[in-house]
Amino acid sequence: MPHDDLRGFLDALDKEGQLLRVTDEVRPEPDIAAAANAAPRLGDAAPALYFDNVSGFTSARIAMNVHGSWANHALALGLPKETPAKEQVAEFIRRWERFPVAPEWREDPPWARNTLEGDDVDVFRVLPLIRLNDGDGGFYIDKAAVVSKDPDDPENSGKQNVGIYRIEVKGRRRLALQPVPMHDIALHLRTAEERGEDLPVAITLGNDPVVTIAASTPMKYEENEYELAGALRGAPAPIAEAPLTGLPVPWGSEVVIEGVIEGRKREIEGPFGEFTGHYSGGRSMPVIRIDRISYRTDPIFEHLYLGMPWTECDYLIAANTAVPLYKQLKADFPEVQAVNASYTHGLVVIVSTKKRYGGFAKAVGLRVLTTPHGLGYATTVIVVDEDVDPFNLPQVMWALSTKMNPAGDLITIPNLPVVELAPQAQSPGIVDKLVIDATTPVGADRRGNYGNQVRDLPETAEWLSRLQALAARR
Amino acid sequence: MHEPTTVCPRCAHDTLEHVHASPVPGIWDVLQCVRCLYMWRTSEPARRSRRDAYPESFRMTGDDIEAAGEVPVVPPLRAAS
Repeated sequence: MPHDDLRGFLDALDKEGQLLRVTDEVRPEPDIAAAANAAPRLGDAAPALYFDNVSGFTSARIAMNVHGSWANHALALGLPKETPAKEQVAEFIRRWERFPVAPEWREDPPWARNTLEGDDVDVFRVLPLIRLNDGDGGFYIDKAAVVSKDPDDPENSGKQNVGIYRIEVKGRRRLALQPVPMHDIALHLRTAEERGEDLPVAITLGNDPVVTIAASTPMKYEENEYELAGALRGAPAPIAEAPLTGLPVPWGSEVVIEGVIEGRKREIEGPFGEFTGHYSGGRSMPVIRIDRISYRTDPIFEHLYLGMPWTECDYLIAANTAVPLYKQLKADFPEVQAVNASYTHGLVVIVSTKKRYGGFAKAVGLRVLTTPHGLGYATTVIVVDEDVDPFNLPQVMWALSTKMNPAGDLITIPNLPVVELAPQAQSPGIVDKLVIDATTPVGADRRGNYGNQVRDLPETAEWLSRLQALAARR
Repeated sequence: MHEPTTVCPRCAHDTLEHVHASPVPGIWDVLQCVRCLYMWRTSEPARRSRRDAYPESFRMTGDDIEAAGEVPVVPPLRAAS
């Protein structure tokens, strides 16, 4: 059964032993961020954290690290918590075949029970906001699904966007938002600002876990995130109309903040410890005026820690970055076997492929750079043979160790676009990119002295199962 | 309990705004610098809440704010048709 809201998923995590309730009193800072920083260090089955005894607050409920392990990511997709990462990606690919699944409008959203409007708006009265990293410029909201429409084509539901962006709290009813130029909301804002208008937005917090996964998937501009959520859930995503803006928002959200990005206005923002593991800012960025907050009684504040990888952020944007890249490559090159783009939102991408002829692997690697997501991210692409598992890093290192000759296998392309947050750029937004061909040369490409490769013995797979069964009985 | 904060830990500006008080009275306050917009809770460690302990590499000046680049750049208005 898919979860219709965050609370349902937290209950499921609890039943699976994947929710750790911290009942001792904690300080809002630095305890909660430090605990969330530490949680993924517990390994691939790290739990979510739940705090409800926070110094100075009377009714704070804070959930951290909800997607912060492969076990929790599997449960979010309704898979057994032991499902390996590679199989979760394969299942994600299979479910995407059902896309699009239209959302379902549902009445009486629980967030409609309580409202603050106009000058009564005070985000601090609704959310137990906490600060994350030492150098952050303030309190951030960094796991909210932000809904907006294309001002030139507002009735087109494909061009509507649901995305997760960094949002700084600037005051009781004032926020800042970072629209990275590669992301859809930046196109919406640009259109609004060209028209001399504000851009209405609905910022939805505390969503069912699949909405969060869909909202952080790098989909094409005209693809609708709710329709992906439906495909991933195996049931239509329940949505409702936000009361002020009319924007379609998740029915199950804990909190819905509505307002506008004020057109043609910029103000100092940041810095903020980003997904790259480095701070970015302070820069002059767009400002949001909040006009209305709708919220459940006793809302749960779901928040995300990010810092030096791996943190929850990395688990959240691992599978969903790999899948669209895989699908786009596979469409042109059926020889592609698997794509691992789990590292820093795909700044490094590993592709395994069969080779059609000599030089083919290099062509596949170059194609990664011109996919919609690769254009702004993929900075180093490693191409490996079809029998190398890109999710098995020791195997990838073996391929680099033995299949790659720097004399002919490194292709550097100067001055390509990259997300401005990438710290290695020459100047923000421009970087040289690298394709590493770590495949065995074939056909007309006769480099190297490969002879015969050692293959697994035909009986090895059977023995693996036998040993696993023996080990389990110990 | 906490010494009163009189200057911004980040930019040393002396005008601060009181944004929020702890629901349990007297535990902490949320303050904001009106110049660099740094916002913090008074109960945070000294490295985040006191000017003398605030790390050099995170400090900000009026010049930094003036020089901050626009992201994204405001586009030209469309010509009226």
